[in-house]
Amino acid sequence: MSDAVHAHDDHGHGHPSGIMRWLTTTNHKDIGTMYLWFALIMLFSAGTMALLIRAELFQPGMQLTNPDFFNQLTTMHGLIMIFGAIMPAFSGFANWQVPLMIGAPDMAFPRMNNWAFWLLPVAGILLISSFLLPGGAVAGGWTMYPPLFIQGGISYDLTILAVHILGLSSIMGSINIVTTILNMRAPGLTLMKMPLFVWTWLITAYLLLATMPVLAGAVTMLLTDRNFGTHFFNAAGGGDPVMFQHIFWFFGHPEVYILILPAFGIVSSIIPTFARKPLFGYASMVYATASIAILSFTVWAHHMFSVGMPAAAQLFFMFSTMLIAVPTGVKIFNWVATMWRGSLTFETPMLFAIAFVCLFTIGGFSGLVLAIAPVDIQLQDTYYVVAHFHYVLVSGALFSIFAGIYYWLPKWTGHMYNETLGKWHFWMSVIGMNILFFPMHFLGLAGMPRRIPDYALQFTEFNQIATVGAFIFGFSQLIFLVLVLKTVKGGAKATDQVWEGAEGLEWTLPSPAPYHTFETAPVVK
Amino acid sequence: MGQVNTEDCAGELAGAFVFQSRPNHSLTRPQERLVFWSLAALCFAMATGFALMGYWLPLPFAGLEIGLLAWAFKVLRSREGDYETLKIEGDVVVLEWHCGNQGERRELNRQWARVVCNCRTPGRNCRLSLCSHGHATEVGKYLNDEARLQLAATLRSRLQE
Repeated sequence: MSDAVHAHDDHGHGHPSGIMRWLTTTNHKDIGTMYLWFALIMLFSAGTMALLIRAELFQPGMQLTNPDFFNQLTTMHGLIMIFGAIMPAFSGFANWQVPLMIGAPDMAFPRMNNWAFWLLPVAGILLISSFLLPGGAVAGGWTMYPPLFIQGGISYDLTILAVHILGLSSIMGSINIVTTILNMRAPGLTLMKMPLFVWTWLITAYLLLATMPVLAGAVTMLLTDRNFGTHFFNAAGGGDPVMFQHIFWFFGHPEVYILILPAFGIVSSIIPTFARKPLFGYASMVYATASIAILSFTVWAHHMFSVGMPAAAQLFFMFSTMLIAVPTGVKIFNWVATMWRGSLTFETPMLFAIAFVCLFTIGGFSGLVLAIAPVDIQLQDTYYVVAHFHYVLVSGALFSIFAGIYYWLPKWTGHMYNETLGKWHFWMSVIGMNILFFPMHFLGLAGMPRRIPDYALQFTEFNQIATVGAFIFGFSQLIFLVLVLKTVKGGAKATDQVWEGAEGLEWTLPSPAPYHTFETAPVVK
Repeated sequence: MGQVNTEDCAGELAGAFVFQSRPNHSLTRPQERLVFWSLAALCFAMATGFALMGYWLPLPFAGLEIGLLAWAFKVLRSREGDYETLKIEGDVVVLEWHCGNQGERRELNRQWARVVCNCRTPGRNCRLSLCSHGHATEVGKYLNDEARLQLAATLRSRLQE
């Protein structure tokens, strides 16, 4: 009898220490922690770029940068925030929480989970280091549109490589999540009993798997156009640059929902806890999430109304976009109904969740405005669009990430965070964020184009207000950093349940959650 | 990574002590087929659509991705039959296990079998084995420490009977 064969996965039993622990770990909690720290580092990197952009835009004329470097900053800010900060942060939550919420001991493929994470720093380094290359970083916008993207220097090739690596990481992570959720649920935990966070991640993983080959194909065609003489998108050779936009947004709009569906899941976990009521309309939330995912494949051309398309196509994409407001409205209604007559308390996670509901709704409404084709043609590439997607991604995705971290940090670290600091962080963020992005609606309506380093004098006041808001918002994130470090280091001992109204398998575990959990699956009634 | 159904841990069967455990698999074969083919159909439909318009490069990436997904489900299927069984009947202890493509059956004499439980820290990170004639066979690998220690105590008392 060979004991070596029979020996079970030994990770964690006398695991290596120091850097080797983190390089070789296959434990979902370790990997989740690494995803979250990586996301935080990227958030500060891309956030610094945003502050540079806003500092430049404080007044008309060129102050701190030159136009080319400004374009590099806007491009890299977008790419890093989306692929380096928001997506990895949600992957961090998935790694930590999915096994705990479904009663699984780890992810289905722990080794692949390790690889999926360690590809990220490689891609991050490729992206950030491209600033140092001749010609600087990519400057054609995060959407990588040709012909600019075909004409750039070596950093464009590196960016394509980085996008491929990020895509591979996402595919490996998604396969892990789909197989873990479907195959490792505790006995009795049927699909319709799963926490909504697990549901939203299952649907997100489907979206990722469905769209990643399209992105990989699109950037590879850019690469061959650049280096191998093909003419997929090169008009000079008979190619069609507009077709790239179709292909990109066929990936890109589901990507928007990849960035927001896990946020819906986090908020759906937090609101019932602090309202001390079960989530209102659980089944409708699941169906609404699935509907949003399906509809996301039918709306891509609303990003490109102004390229010219038949009126019938414009009408189709206009109405299909508006249709997404229905399941999204169901969600907003259900969150409000959950709070209705609940025993509400307003700890920091709940404050961020409520801010999410209110401010994401503003972003949703401005999205509806942009869905109207004739209006969109006026507002295309103006600051109205910038305001819209920042209300969705900052007060939507990012605020939900903050909410989730405050909510689960005591379970992860075993320590309660400092509530006073948390509230400071919340109020500074909410005030700063609104001062930053709300005036952009007016700038856009007045016709200020996006991605420009200089502007007409008439836009000065609103730009100055936005820049003040940017610095308030940016520096308030230092409070968050201090708070997280303090909580990791020590603090009041967290109880197992942590929050009075918290329900779910993860709250049955001790705080901090032991290194190995649910080796024996619990039975869910 | 496996789990165990707690309801099939241990029990009496016609006077014999029987312990069985197997990893938890919540995905049935029909569900697995539905998940795999729905994803494959979606990916290939989109990639084929673009290929028909002359933009064929998403197609090989879709193939690679679905290949990786197929491998993942194949690995899950290979773990489906994993189990371990320990039966004490009279003076015979029968150990049987199956893990991936490997498996073995071993018969021990109850009088000679010893329970060895090594814990790296008291009550934590424990490894339970049944030893006889210089060979050790791990049991309870799908259990958590608490259940493993409980099984160790049960086995000790059963072997001494």
